[in-house]
Amino acid sequence: MNPAGRLTLYLALMSSISFGGIPSVLPDIRHFVVVANPWLTERDFADFFALAQTIPGPNMILMMSLVGWKVAGFTGALTSAGATALPPCAMYVAAYRLLDRWRDAAWQKIARASLAPLTFGLIVAGGTVMAETADKTVAAAAITAVAAVYVLATRRNPLWMIGAAGLLGAIGLV
Amino acid sequence: MQRAPLGALFCEFLKVSLFGFGGGIVMAHRAAVEQRQWLTEGEFADILTLTQLMPGPNVVGVAVCVGTRTRGLAGALAAFAGFVLVPGALGFALALMWLGRTDIPLVANVLRGVGPAAAGLMIGTGLRLLRPHRGDARTVVVAMLAFAGLALARFPLLLVLAILAPLSIAATLYQREAAR
Repeated sequence: MNPAGRLTLYLALMSSISFGGIPSVLPDIRHFVVVANPWLTERDFADFFALAQTIPGPNMILMMSLVGWKVAGFTGALTSAGATALPPCAMYVAAYRLLDRWRDAAWQKIARASLAPLTFGLIVAGGTVMAETADKTVAAAAITAVAAVYVLATRRNPLWMIGAAGLLGAIGLV
Repeated sequence: MQRAPLGALFCEFLKVSLFGFGGGIVMAHRAAVEQRQWLTEGEFADILTLTQLMPGPNVVGVAVCVGTRTRGLAGALAAFAGFVLVPGALGFALALMWLGRTDIPLVANVLRGVGPAAAGLMIGTGLRLLRPHRGDARTVVVAMLAFAGLALARFPLLLVLAILAPLSIAATLYQREAAR
């Protein structure tokens, strides 16, 4: 099979098992496209990752489209993005419809009551792990704390917080 | 539940995608629950739970599930188009332009400020979802254990789920028996 086809199949498999999000299978993908196949250099992979972080939108899908582009041009970009996004989306919709059909079943009430607290913990943990990489200075840690209180104490648009923090960064205070 | 116009689903998730800055859950919650009131707080928490526990890009899952909830398959497609297709195409074009000149200092500086804020917003959103349950010891303890396992002990997600999900189900069943 040609490289684009192999990459597409591989990404479809990876996205289907990426519990916790695409970043959880990033090490495997890196190995596949840098080591097992001579498609990207180490540097390409790191650049695509950093670049995808700076551009708004779903950044892991964007990153995989760049990987695909490097391997097989625009066709590769399209099929790679599709392989990253579509299998999980099909599963989300199918699972959600099943849940909806048996919304009032006793087992579902138990499952919901049991698993929701896990979700709350996971989200706070996700924010904390992001904060550990982002907060290199006292000012940065203070911004994180203020942003958390901002969400808890107000119903204002989070963009104000993002904008203020971006401004502080732009004038060199972070 | 509200019946959402497809165009509004498209536009709201386009906004969430473009202005989410890694914390898309924060913006999605604000748009779907607080402003448009397409879902209740509890329905949104259900969707979060489902997508967090499944493989794939979780926030994209939130978008397609909110779309499914409000308008079925057409809603899922509208939310997907707004959340993934349009920003993905724009981002791809932008990325090709930027490749090779990534080290613009102003951009790096802005991101140094935005990163910590995005992290804090996410922490606040998780706590806010937990807040209505603060009187329930079981919920609070399980949430704290999940947090500790992932953020402090750095266990893999699958391990945390494999240990805590059965424990939490057992605690729920016990709580129900005791309440009888």
